[in-house]
Amino acid sequence: MLEEEKVALFLASRIIARGNKGTLFLTIMIIAMVFVNLIFLPSIIAGVVVLFNQQTIDYSYANLVVEPREGSLLISNPTSLVGKINRIPGVVASTPRYSSGATIVHKGKSTTPLVIAIDPERESQVMKVHKSIISGDYLSDSDTGQILIGVTLAGDREQKVERTPTLGGVDVGKTVEVTFRNGVTKQFRVKGILKTGTSLIDNNAYISRRDLASVLGDEDPANQILVRTTTTGDENAMRLLLMQYGVQEQIWTWQDKSLDFLKSIVGSFDIINLISTVVSLIIAVVVIFIVIFISIVYRRKQIGILQAIGIDRRIIIKSYIFQALFICLCGTICGCILLLIVLQYLAANPLVFPGGPVAPVLETGLVIRSIISLFLVALIAGYIPSWLTTREEILAAIRG
Amino acid sequence: MIRASNLSKIYGRGSVEVRALDGINVEIQKGEFVGVMGASGSGKSTLLHLLGLLDRPTAGTLIIADTDVTRLPERERTLFRLNRLGYVFQDYALVPELTAEENIYLPSRVRGMKAQECTRTCRDILSLVGLKDRVNFLPGEMSGGEQQRVAIARALVNSPAILLADEPCANLDSRNSVLILDLIRQLNRDLRQTVVMVSHENWHRKYFDRVIYLIDGKIVPDPGAEPGTAAP
Ligand SMILES: Nc1ncnc2c1ncn2[C@@H]1O[C@H](COP(=O)(O)OP(=O)(O)OP(=O)(O)O)[C@@H](O)[C@H]1O
Ligand SMILES: [Mg+2]
Repeated sequence: MLEEEKVALFLASRIIARGNKGTLFLTIMIIAMVFVNLIFLPSIIAGVVVLFNQQTIDYSYANLVVEPREGSLLISNPTSLVGKINRIPGVVASTPRYSSGATIVHKGKSTTPLVIAIDPERESQVMKVHKSIISGDYLSDSDTGQILIGVTLAGDREQKVERTPTLGGVDVGKTVEVTFRNGVTKQFRVKGILKTGTSLIDNNAYISRRDLASVLGDEDPANQILVRTTTTGDENAMRLLLMQYGVQEQIWTWQDKSLDFLKSIVGSFDIINLISTVVSLIIAVVVIFIVIFISIVYRRKQIGILQAIGIDRRIIIKSYIFQALFICLCGTICGCILLLIVLQYLAANPLVFPGGPVAPVLETGLVIRSIISLFLVALIAGYIPSWLTTREEILAAIRG
Repeated sequence: MIRASNLSKIYGRGSVEVRALDGINVEIQKGEFVGVMGASGSGKSTLLHLLGLLDRPTAGTLIIADTDVTRLPERERTLFRLNRLGYVFQDYALVPELTAEENIYLPSRVRGMKAQECTRTCRDILSLVGLKDRVNFLPGEMSGGEQQRVAIARALVNSPAILLADEPCANLDSRNSVLILDLIRQLNRDLRQTVVMVSHENWHRKYFDRVIYLIDGKIVPDPGAEPGTAAP
């Protein structure tokens, strides 16, 4: 019966319009805060996950990793394979790498980091190492005897206690001695220091594949080819495409590769996120319920009078549901505005995590779920107390 | 119009039971203006609550306008209050967020009157109680007497069979009390409106057609009445 709703709406609108503005404002603000609370932390966490994933793609694995066929340690003819992969639609570029451990010595300090040999120009089309040079320069294809050192590996002269073994403060222009697995030792001049924020990467050193070739006596050494694809997200399809185009080496997606160390971090974040969402939701339920419950209990006498003069309880209940929904609507709108302000602020003053600034990721699904849950809560918070109050004896309600 | 037989209301149980109404028999005809009087705690309000369907009797039957209201389920009772009864409370009991007009509009609208018709009826009834120029005032912006007149207008808007009023003048000064009593008597005379009103002021007697006098929940001959005219 629509007439009933009209009367309920009439009653609700007047009570809201002429009721206590301060209480209304506070209630709306509380719901706005609850809304922000429901969305903020998860979107920060989502932002951290996105950052982590981006770091993995940009510095460690690109989108796809091609590795030697089963049973062999090297990719045969990597340069021609790179050319072949680059012609596959959906591939932006690919680059060969040879990663191995090597001992680096500087002023009597020695450590054994991962030394990655790259083709500097190709590498810069696939990876972002070239964008993270904080002093000196990136390698160029014509360089020989030059090395890039990660900032953590380079170390700090001031630092007395080291968390990881470092070179004790290497600067651009200094010379380090690198001893490779095959026992060959070669002098390198530090051309640049790089800093990505990811400790694993900042512990690496980069040389050119040309230098490595002379060390290994192999014209074209590579144990990895990293492939950048046009879109992130369809790596599995791209992997199949590469196989269809006749790539017989093992192909991994960056998700496969990051399985061990990153997935566990992302997994932990998912759990934190879940707990935070559940807790926020419980807080939302309790707060909204209490606020609306109090406002209805406060109007107990009025509800009794309305019943005494013959207003059906269904109308009264509906009018309180309308009030709760209206308050919730205002709260959600204010919450959205508040959230936008916070996001604007964070865009201007980003949260810096190891690995870079985190941009909060607003998931539409989460926002919609939060709005729906707030409205469900409001519905219940409007319904239960008015149902209880209209069920009690009229005289008891009128006496207050 | 009203016939109560053996009507009782007992509060509490066992040793602490209070017989607020103790098997009373009352008959009230259409168009009568009946006063309910008695000492404090004698059961006046209890009687009015039962007549107003705000409470259920412990025993006895109550027939109002040919309906056995003791047997009605809760929703029917609410409808009965809306359509057949008008109740005026001692403390006006207006909805504070609604204007004079809206307070009256509410029950007429709920009864199913069209919005426009409601508005017209509300204006008419407000001028009947002399509040033409208070239409858009909120209860908080009106004097006690004015609020009580709005409350009476609200009670009358659905043309009830019976108007019930529990000490409607208790919070008013004598000038406003006279205004209210004159108004109710006028409604009683002009519209042949049946009225049952609780009062403990002796000077109200002159407005009543007769008085139901209660002592400890029982009806007794009215001690204040002139000899020979006492109610049974
Ligand atoms: N809810 C209740 N629970 C227990 N006893 C009650 C309740 N309501 C009323 N009573 C008792 O019933 C008796 C009659 O009360 P009632 O309110 O009808 O008196 P009254 O005649 O209206 O008095 P007053 O003139 O003071 O308003 C009183 O003794 C009162 O204590
Ligand atoms: Mg009383």
